[in-house]
Amino acid sequence: MSQTQVRTPRPAEARDETHGWPVQRVGAGRRVSLSEVRGRRLVGLLLVLVPLAWALARAVPEGRAILNTGGLALLDDLAAGVLRPSLAPDFLSLVLDAAVVTLVFAALGTAGALAVGVVGGLVLSDVAWARQPPAGVRALRSVVRGLLVAVRAVHELVWALLFVSVLGLDPLVAVLAIAVPFGAQTAKVFAEIVDGVDPAALRLIRNSGARRSTTLVYGLVPAATPLLLSYSFYRFECAIRSAVLLGVVGVGGLGQELVVSLQSRNWAEVWTLVAAVLVLSAAADVWSSKVRGELPGATRDDEATEAECGRSIATAPPRTGSGRGWWGRASALLLVPVLVAAWIASDVSWAGLASPRTRELTVGLLDDLWPPALPPGGWSVLVGGVLDTLAMAVLAMAVAVVVTLVVGPWATRPDLARPRSVRGLARHLIRVVARLLLLVLRSVPPTIWAIVALLALFPGILPGALALGLYTGGILGRLVAEAWESLDRRPTRALRNAGVGGRMAAVAAQTAPSSQQLVAYTLYRFEICVRDTAVVGVVGAAGLGRLFAENLAVFRFPVVATLLLASVAVSLAAELVGRRLRRALRGTPPEARGRFRPARQPAISAAPARSSSSSR
Amino acid sequence: MSDSPVIELDGVGRRYGGHDALRDVSLRIDHGERVALLGGSGAGKSTLLALLNGSLLATSGSVRVFGQDLAALTPTTLRALQSRIGAVSQRLDLIEQVRVIHNINAGQLARWSVPRAVAALAWPRADDIALGALDRVGLGWATYERTDRLSGGERQRVAIARLLVQDPDLVLADEPVSSLDPARAAEVLALLRAPAEDATLVISLHQPELAQRHCTRAIGLRDGQVAFDVPVELLDEPTLSHLYALP
Repeated sequence: MSQTQVRTPRPAEARDETHGWPVQRVGAGRRVSLSEVRGRRLVGLLLVLVPLAWALARAVPEGRAILNTGGLALLDDLAAGVLRPSLAPDFLSLVLDAAVVTLVFAALGTAGALAVGVVGGLVLSDVAWARQPPAGVRALRSVVRGLLVAVRAVHELVWALLFVSVLGLDPLVAVLAIAVPFGAQTAKVFAEIVDGVDPAALRLIRNSGARRSTTLVYGLVPAATPLLLSYSFYRFECAIRSAVLLGVVGVGGLGQELVVSLQSRNWAEVWTLVAAVLVLSAAADVWSSKVRGELPGATRDDEATEAECGRSIATAPPRTGSGRGWWGRASALLLVPVLVAAWIASDVSWAGLASPRTRELTVGLLDDLWPPALPPGGWSVLVGGVLDTLAMAVLAMAVAVVVTLVVGPWATRPDLARPRSVRGLARHLIRVVARLLLLVLRSVPPTIWAIVALLALFPGILPGALALGLYTGGILGRLVAEAWESLDRRPTRALRNAGVGGRMAAVAAQTAPSSQQLVAYTLYRFEICVRDTAVVGVVGAAGLGRLFAENLAVFRFPVVATLLLASVAVSLAAELVGRRLRRALRGTPPEARGRFRPARQPAISAAPARSSSSSR
Repeated sequence: MSDSPVIELDGVGRRYGGHDALRDVSLRIDHGERVALLGGSGAGKSTLLALLNGSLLATSGSVRVFGQDLAALTPTTLRALQSRIGAVSQRLDLIEQVRVIHNINAGQLARWSVPRAVAALAWPRADDIALGALDRVGLGWATYERTDRLSGGERQRVAIARLLVQDPDLVLADEPVSSLDPARAAEVLALLRAPAEDATLVISLHQPELAQRHCTRAIGLRDGQVAFDVPVELLDEPTLSHLYALP
C-alpha cells in the first residue's frame, strides 16, 4: 500500500491566493534544458522496456510448449456455458447459502479489522500521545509499527493457509485471515486520519485548560469520525472480494464452490457462481459508494493516492459530503442487527481459538517455524522464486495496462456536443458494457482466473501473470477511467475554440495528464501486484507463492518461515521503489501533504459521488 | 481587406433560458481597432466575446466575422476561421502537466498534422517561432520548465506567447488583467498589442483608465445592450457612472 508519512501542513503563503495554484519560484539557478527533458523521457522508456524484456525472457521457457492445446477444448466449453448457467433449484439454494457465508466472512472480518484498526491506530498516531512519551513507550510503538508493516505485507490467502494449519478448516480461518492483514492496514490509515486532524483545533481546546483526554474526545472524534466511517465501508467492500477469494482454501463460501465447480468441469455451475459473485460485489460497490458519497474526504486507499498520482489539487473537485444522508443512516441502523444475525447464522465460534488443541498447535507451529531454513535446492531456488514473483508482477502489470488502454477509454464518460443523438446513446451503451467488463475482471478472484488460465497454459509465470493481469486490469481500468473522467477539459475546449480539430485538441491537451495518471496508478498497483502474486502462486502458477504452498503442504515449516520473510521483503522493496518512482514522476520535490485531511471548508457542491471502489 | 469590417453585428441577441444576456446589439469593428468592452458584472461582455469567436451562437440577429456569417459555417470552415482568432481569458486554460514548450506549440496546432503533434509531444523540440515568442515575453529561460511550476505572472505570459505563435488577425481577451496588480496589468496589455500592430483587439476590462491608455474605442454594455460607443478620448465620469450604476 502506498503512503506518505509527511504531515506538515503546506505553509499558507506557498499558495497563490488568486488562482489557487502552487507557487514555486523558479530560482535563477534552476534551468531545465532540452537535453534534460529528453533524458527523462529516455530513462522513463528504459524503465518500462528493460524490466518488461527481462520478465518476458524469464517467463517464456526455452524449448518448452506454452500453450496446452489439450486444454483449449475445455476453454471452449467454458465459453459456451455462459449462455446456459445452471438454474437447478438445488444448486441455486446452494449458491445462496454460499453467498451468505461469504457475506458473513466479510462482515465479521471487517468488524475484527476495525477493532484492530482503532486500537492500533491510536497506538501509532502521534496526536494521541503526549508530546514526548517515555522511551519505553516509544520503543514499543516502533515495534508495533514494524509488526503491522510486516503483517500487511503478507497476503490474506497466505494468512489463511497459516491459520488452516492451526485451526483446520474452521470458518474462523476466513474471518481471521481478513481481520489480521486488513486490521494492520486499517491501523495505519486510522493513525494517518487522526494525525491529519487540524492540530490548531486541538491546541485551542487544550489551551482553554481542558484535560488531555477531554481534548482528544472533543477535538478528534467529530473531525475524524466521518473519515473513519468512510474508510470502514471501503474496507468492507474489499473484504467481500477477499472473502470470495479465501474460499479457495476450502473454508466455504462462493470461492470454494467456484473452485469445486471448475475442477469438476461443471461449466454451467461456474457461470451461475460467477453471476452470484458479480451481484454481490456490484451491490457492495454501490452500497459503499452511496454511503461514502455522503461522507467527506477521499479515504479509499487508491483515491488517497490520487493526490500523489499528480492530480492537481487546483482542479480536483472538492469532496465534501454533509455527513448526513439517507444511506448512511439506514446503514448505521442496520449494521448492528445484521452483524449479530450474521454471527448467529454462521458457524463461526471463537471456541476454536481458545481450545487447548489450538494453543498446542500454535506453539508447535511457532516452534517449527524458527529457525528459518533454506528450501531444498538452496539459495538458487529462493532467489529463483523471488525473481519469478517479480517477473510475474511486471508481466501482470503489462497485461493490466493493455486492458486499461483497450477498455478504459470506452469506460469514461464522453464529452459529447450532443449526448442525445444516436451516436451519443450508442457511446453511452458502450460505456455501460465497458464498465461491466471491468467489473467482471476485478470481481472474479485472481485464483479463479489462474485456474482458468492453467486450463490452456502450462504452469509457470505466464498463466499467473495473465490471471493477475486480468484481475488487476479490472481495477486499474476503472481507477484510470475515473481519473480520466475528472480531467480538466477546459484546455481542450480552449484549443477547439482556437480552430484546432477535435482529435488534435484531445491529443494535445489530454495525452500528458492522462498518461501521467496511468503511469502513477500503474506503479501504485504494481506494489500491490507483487504482494498478490502469492494468490496465483498458491494454485500452482509460479513464484514465492507456489514455493510457499508446496512447502506448507509437506509441513516444511522452517522453509515456510524463510519464504514468508522473503515475500515481506519483496513487497516492502516494491513499495519503496514504487513510491520513489511516483515521486520522481510528479516532478516536484516531495512536498508535505497530509493524505487524509478532513475537509475544512463547508460543502461547496453536493458530494460528487465518484462511484465506488475497487482494489485488494 | 481593410475596407470591409472585421466584425459586424446586426441586431444580435442571446437568450439563456428565459434570460436575455444580450439584446439587439449592432456593431461594426474595423481592421486595426482596439476596442475596450466596459460594463458591470453580468452586463454581457463574456457572452459577446463568446459570440465573436463562434464558441456560442446568437439566438437572433447575425454575427459576421471577417465577412463570414458564423451561423452559416460548416464545422470545417468555422475551424478555419477560428484559427485566425486568438482568445485569452483570465483562466488562461493552459495544459498544466506539460513543459512550457508544449503550451506554446498549442498555438500552432491548427497548422500541424496529428502525427506531427504527437511526435512533438513524445520528443520535445522547439522551433524558431516558439522560441521567438517565448523570448518576446521574456520567458526564453523557461522553455522546458513544467507549466504548473511557474508563477501566476509567468503563466500569464505563457498564454500570451501561445497567442503570439498563433499569430491571429483578431484577438479576443476576456478580462485578462482583472486579477493582476496595475504594473503587471499594463505589461500584459502591452503584450496583447504585440501580436501584430495591425491586429484587431477586443478586450473586456474593468478599469476605464486602462482602456484609455491601451485602446482606441470604448463600448459600454449595460443589461445586455450597448450603453455607449465612443472613442476613448470621450470617456468621462458621467458616462462611466451611468454604466456602473446599480439598478
